Amino acid sequence: MRSISVTAGGAPLLDDVEFRVGSGKLVAIVGPNGVGKTTLLRAVAGVHPLAAGTISVDGLKIGSASARERARSIAFLAADDSAADGLLVREVVAAARYAHHRWWEWRESERDCAAIATALAEVCMEQMQERLFSTLSSGERRNVWVALALAQETPVLLLDEPTTHLDLHVAQRMLALLRGLAGGGKTILCALHDLNEAAAFADAIVLLGDGRLRAAGPPTQVLTSPLLDDVYACTIERVHLRDGSLRVYPSGVAPAAQR
Amino acid sequence: MALRLVPLGLVVFAVAFGALLVGGAPIPATAIAGALLHPHHSGVDAVIVWQLRLPRIVDVAFVGAALAVAGTLLQGLLRNPLVDPYLTGVSAGAAAAIALGLLAGVSPAATPALGFVAGLGTAVLVAALARRGSGLDAQRLILAGVSLSAFFSAIVALALVRAQSSNAASSIVAWLAGSAAGRTWHDVALCIPYAALAAALVIPAVPALNVLRIGEAQARGVGVNVERAQWLVLAASALLAACSVELAGMIGFVGLIVPHAGRRVVGSDARLLLPAAAFMGAALCILADAVCRTIVAPAELPIGVLLAFIGVPVFLWLFLRGAPAR
Repeated sequence: MRSISVTAGGAPLLDDVEFRVGSGKLVAIVGPNGVGKTTLLRAVAGVHPLAAGTISVDGLKIGSASARERARSIAFLAADDSAADGLLVREVVAAARYAHHRWWEWRESERDCAAIATALAEVCMEQMQERLFSTLSSGERRNVWVALALAQETPVLLLDEPTTHLDLHVAQRMLALLRGLAGGGKTILCALHDLNEAAAFADAIVLLGDGRLRAAGPPTQVLTSPLLDDVYACTIERVHLRDGSLRVYPSGVAPAAQR
Repeated sequence: MALRLVPLGLVVFAVAFGALLVGGAPIPATAIAGALLHPHHSGVDAVIVWQLRLPRIVDVAFVGAALAVAGTLLQGLLRNPLVDPYLTGVSAGAAAAIALGLLAGVSPAATPALGFVAGLGTAVLVAALARRGSGLDAQRLILAGVSLSAFFSAIVALALVRAQSSNAASSIVAWLAGSAAGRTWHDVALCIPYAALAAALVIPAVPALNVLRIGEAQARGVGVNVERAQWLVLAASALLAACSVELAGMIGFVGLIVPHAGRRVVGSDARLLLPAAAFMGAALCILADAVCRTIVAPAELPIGVLLAFIGVPVFLWLFLRGAPAR
């Protein structure tokens, strides 16, 4: 990603953002509300135009690639939910295979079936594949959307707030799944609100603030107190747990017992 | 999967055969079958079947199928179950042009072509108003369609007031009520190229229509070129609606209720739903037209009026039944 700038509604949102993500890495994009995390992901996915700069994924120039070409390289899970009225869970996930077909290929191939089944199993939704999507809870729906992104079988996954609506257990399981997928070679870029989820699971963190890239690197280098205080406009305390991992808390709520 | 369409296809043939049996001159089924098998026979039965009833049945079948497919396409694209093909402004624009044309003394024989051209012109205007970036804004499309339809309806009302009780007024009213009376093979043949073009536009968009069921944002994520699908579907819907207007005037509710009924029968998969809607729309219009030309024979009821009488209660029944359509 080279010197990219994006606008939203005609107003500048992010300027001169530049970073590189190595394959097989899980990178979290963090920053305050409205800073441009979602817009940045949308730009990487090629569904939001760039005001300046270039984004390449494995040599594919996102700005000039067709929607189908992009979708074979990048799976983008938007944060917006959709009712998908009248569809079964499996039918929702099957939509992921669109980019793998030419317009006259209307039948599911064996590879499609395998990809759909694997994706549903990854998020533990295979038992619910015949349920109507609209009858699921918001957390279960989130799992289905993640399965859809997985069924695209792309080397790059972009996930906008993948743990939204998930309870603690399911959120941890989701992040562990993403961690495992990164271990298996997928490159994952996800916008997260929870800095501790980012600290615990990401290889690197991209911190956005004031319309620009404030820092990018390993969690311990990015989640520093003065920088976070400035970006989030509140005092944030860093805590190292006994296992050596890092947690951050707004001042006053850090668990003293862990220090 | 295609086997699920066979019963619907058989229903169309059964209804069409039934419609051949009824009319001013009673002809037994065996004579109808004989006339169908010997099209060049010079007997009265063959003339009635091949020159009068069959072209009219094919005409209304085409109209029903075109409106049902156009409604299915637009409801799927806009993800709005209350949309019908006339949202594209086709009928209102055609009605206004025909009303003004008849008032100005244009021959009634020229009105179908006038309606076709004006209808498509209005659809282009609606699309231009609804354009945002390289695609279409669904909300703008609906607002533009509704506003322009209201504007053109006012023109029709004004033309009717100006026409008073002249022949032009009765021609305008007859056209607004919808009718396939007097249609020939020539009328049907004129629409075939446009219908073929609509099919050529729609078929590449079918997979995208299916994916759009999961929502526009998600569809973009899996590689759907939403803008391309929007233009293809809108162009095909406008062509189909304009063809139906040319063949039978204003026929409402088919494009609204048949997609709902189709979803209940075969689900929302466009690969099945589009042909199913075509069959169901065709069967409904053949049936309605047969009733129209026999219930008050030798006079005729306008098919548009009958379909509205049937369509509204059926739609309300479907709506109030409450079961989610698949």
